[in-house]
Amino acid sequence: MLLSEMTTKDVFKNTKQRMSKYQDDFLEQLTAIEVDAHWFRRVFHTFAASFLFYYLLPDEEWMNAIKIVVPILIVFCMIVIEYRRLRGTLDHQRFFGLRSYEKKQPASYLYFGIAVVLLFLLFPQQIAIPCILCASFTDPIMGETRHYFGKTKAYAIGFIVSLFFFCITWYRADWWILLLVSVIGAAGALIGEAKKLRLIDDDFMIQILPAILLLVLWQGLRFFGIELLPPPLIHPL
Amino acid sequence: MQQKKDTRKENIQKLLVRLELWFAPLLIIMPMSVSMFFLGDWYIRGFSQGSSMYDGELILGLLLLFVNFFFDVLFLRSIRMQKKKEC
Repeated sequence: MLLSEMTTKDVFKNTKQRMSKYQDDFLEQLTAIEVDAHWFRRVFHTFAASFLFYYLLPDEEWMNAIKIVVPILIVFCMIVIEYRRLRGTLDHQRFFGLRSYEKKQPASYLYFGIAVVLLFLLFPQQIAIPCILCASFTDPIMGETRHYFGKTKAYAIGFIVSLFFFCITWYRADWWILLLVSVIGAAGALIGEAKKLRLIDDDFMIQILPAILLLVLWQGLRFFGIELLPPPLIHPL
Repeated sequence: MQQKKDTRKENIQKLLVRLELWFAPLLIIMPMSVSMFFLGDWYIRGFSQGSSMYDGELILGLLLLFVNFFFDVLFLRSIRMQKKKEC
């Protein structure tokens, strides 16, 4: 049929058919995509570093309330989801990227979330930031290096990477504080990652162990009149 | 026609269940946006005002950008490779 002979109705019908075909093709292509669970887990870790945006939120009364309530609510939702998954009301297959041992215990994302919220609410940002960076970056870096170079070298690389994160976040502190904090923090992160506990996931320990060590050090030195903390790294908007 | 509709419905249902496909764009876009925000904030409040107080945000912005970019590339490559296998 020539274009001049086509009525508006024909054109509309034609376009509709073509659109429908495009939609079907697009849907089929999307369903054909397969995501690699290994790299999905790695990217999930590195993604968590963007939670540091929290420290850019303004320091106003209403915002401070939101800064407390919202993270707690998010973790509460995660607890409910995990509870339902473990009870079997939510299908385990829907949770992409979970490890096989997480089938009958809370998944590591919950531990990660709880640790981040504890760091946000109970620790100063100078301590919380390097701990979150360690969980976000050291963990996947160690995981990859363990695969290629073996356990011992992976631990050494993990220690150096964590040391680097503590150094760059405490760069404004005195040199001896910088050295002390970086070594203690990196050692804490490494032990938290390396020591596998049955009940608590390493994603929790890698953040909380160095944070507690530094909190004790900070308060201990404060007792002797020495201020450990450098100025904050991130300034609210 | 009915069969075509059923296939489409089936495809949509399959996609709704696959949370990883919904999460993937977020996992890539969000860290990049946050790192850009850190860099922008450092530039506006720090660099252009001649203040070194915001240098920490520059460091964090660059760190987030490079590490996430590195892992994102590996992640995206893994997706593409599996698509090829599928074909």
